[in-house]
Amino acid sequence: MAILEARNVTREYRMKAETVCALAEVSVAVERGDFVAILGTSGSGKSTLLNLFGGLDRPTSGEILFDGQSLEPLSSWEMSRYRLRRVGMIFQSFNLIPTMTARENVALALAFAGLGQGERRRRSLELLDRVGLLKRADHLPSELSGGEQQRVSIARAIANEPQVLLADEPTGNLDSSRAAEVMGVLDEMRLRDGKTIVLVTHDRELADRFATRVIRLKDGKVITG
Amino acid sequence: MKFADIIALAWRNLRQARLRTSLTVIGVIVGVAAIVTMVSFGLGLQNNLLRDALARIDLFTSITVMGPGTDALLAMRDQGQDGAVNDNGAGESKGEKSEVAASATPEPSPTPTRMLDDAAIDELQGISGVRYVVPNFSFSNYVRFEGRTRRAFIGGAPQSIEYNPRFKKFLAGRHFTAASAREVVVTERFVSWVRSKNKPNGNRRRRPGGPFQMAPTRSEEERAREANGILGKEIVFLIPREQDAPPSAVFGIPIIDASSSENGDFASEFGAQYEELVYRVVGVLKAEDGFDINNFMETDMFIPLDQAKEFRDANRDPMSRIGEFLAGDTGYQNAEVRVIDVAQVESVKEEIRKRGFRVWSLTNQIEEVKRIFLIVNSALALIGGISLLVASFGISNTMIMSIRERTREIGVMKAIGGSDGEIMRIFFVEASLIGLAGGALGVLGGWGIDRLADTLANKWILKQVGQTVRRIEFFSIPWYLTTSAILFAIVVSLIAAIYPALRAAKVDPIKALRYE
Repeated sequence: MAILEARNVTREYRMKAETVCALAEVSVAVERGDFVAILGTSGSGKSTLLNLFGGLDRPTSGEILFDGQSLEPLSSWEMSRYRLRRVGMIFQSFNLIPTMTARENVALALAFAGLGQGERRRRSLELLDRVGLLKRADHLPSELSGGEQQRVSIARAIANEPQVLLADEPTGNLDSSRAAEVMGVLDEMRLRDGKTIVLVTHDRELADRFATRVIRLKDGKVITG
Repeated sequence: MKFADIIALAWRNLRQARLRTSLTVIGVIVGVAAIVTMVSFGLGLQNNLLRDALARIDLFTSITVMGPGTDALLAMRDQGQDGAVNDNGAGESKGEKSEVAASATPEPSPTPTRMLDDAAIDELQGISGVRYVVPNFSFSNYVRFEGRTRRAFIGGAPQSIEYNPRFKKFLAGRHFTAASAREVVVTERFVSWVRSKNKPNGNRRRRPGGPFQMAPTRSEEERAREANGILGKEIVFLIPREQDAPPSAVFGIPIIDASSSENGDFASEFGAQYEELVYRVVGVLKAEDGFDINNFMETDMFIPLDQAKEFRDANRDPMSRIGEFLAGDTGYQNAEVRVIDVAQVESVKEEIRKRGFRVWSLTNQIEEVKRIFLIVNSALALIGGISLLVASFGISNTMIMSIRERTREIGVMKAIGGSDGEIMRIFFVEASLIGLAGGALGVLGGWGIDRLADTLANKWILKQVGQTVRRIEFFSIPWYLTTSAILFAIVVSLIAAIYPALRAAKVDPIKALRYE
């Protein structure tokens, strides 16, 4: 069974008078353990699809299923629990909280899961160790390089052991060697921990190099996949 | 997320915008301090009147019982004879009988119908819940002390003074040993008269009139020494010689008979000789500053009650004698009934009223005064509340600013699993922390203002009066004012945070995270 599935998903945005259709009748399925790359130009609807998978947004019609269960009936609170435990999100601009150290950023995700102070400290250091940043634990994001910041955000994404990692242009702000480093970490997550990775990118080369499967989107429609 | 973590997050947010937070908190401090100062002033006023001044002399367990008095007795007698002439006068049916006065007036305090004499006092003593009954009366008489003579006010004191607040504190000596002892207890008023001999041009400042008493100017040790100096000394009472034929006290003597006898009275009055009775000073009562509703300290000395009664009878002024002669025995004007427990005041009053006396106690007046103070305090709180209202807009503003700045952060929190409720709670906690800090510091500030104003006011009073006055606490900050002021500040802050918190909860994470 697919771990993530979109069934006839349409997402429209109302902008003043006109309605913009970001996704039109999209159906895709992501199998467990896959490294799926969603390719497309800007405005193709790839980020919209990722946000729907991530539970940050709800489709106008159609439904998103996680492990065979529809997200549609979930309440706002249940949706937040879904984001907390089922999926981990990684963003192009890292989205770390600038006033918190690397460790505190990771610990924040653990705090939302209700872990105690001591447990959070132990877990967050463990997670930073996994992405090779144990020594940088007490640095603020501004004191870290872009690649390091993205690794912190990966540590944060896997903090509550989600089965799926959703990455939105994670290498967009990085040079190619840092980008390869970050992709390597993601790939390792898949190979070692069996995580499913959904990567949104416009970089075809990156997609071809790491992905086990590529889905192309254009104007809100799937063209290959 | 654990509540402790929410508090930690809120605290962190506030600390990051220290200046803004401080300014917002200052707004709350001003508001709370205004409320506390205002209300504590009202409560202070209330306390000065009700607690310190009135409760000091245990007025709440005291009931004053009034007899009819000479005029009323005369009117009663007239009614008994003529049929009916009652207060309403014209238009009333002539056929009514004398029971009218006793039964037909359901006023709150009907005219007393029974004489307050010794038999009545004994009867009142028997009512359950009554601790003691003491008739109130004083008379003036000439006394001689160390060669000087003056007219003094003399009261009668019961032998048992165990619960009597008037005889609580002796500066020196003790109470009478027996009802028949020729012993006298003097007040400090008398002591100051004695002192005035030694310093003819000394402090001539009169005690101010009215129920409020200034604190004595001298130290307690000095007063005690002075009082001890008087103990054991003699006071000579100059008593008019007994009349040969005291006026008849028979009820209902015809007026014609009375007028002839009346002239005789005047004659004997003016021809009277004095006889001397020697009393020994056994105790000096301590004057207390504060409120003295009975002007008790205006009395110079007390002698055993039964002896005082005798003197009073022998010592009536001519006008009372005429009245008494016409009306018969007039009894006492009033008596003090002391109940064991405040809760019994009403039932005892009702019991006494049923027996035909007029009763009066402070309890209903106290309720009235309390009600008035409640209104005054509410008005004061309202005035103070306006500044807290202003501060609440400051809180809203601060929160909204903070949300605008932290939109992205809120988006991140939602993306990694924070719920709307958790986000909302962070902001509510931030607001309550502002309220708590502002409330606590505001109470402290209000307290500071109170202390300062108290000190200045007392200094000013000292300067005006020019002598040591008991320090007056103009303000009162009871624990419930402290707690409710802080709670109120928190509640106002929470209300101010409703809109910002809802707005924070509604932040769309996609939009929040989209912008670089």
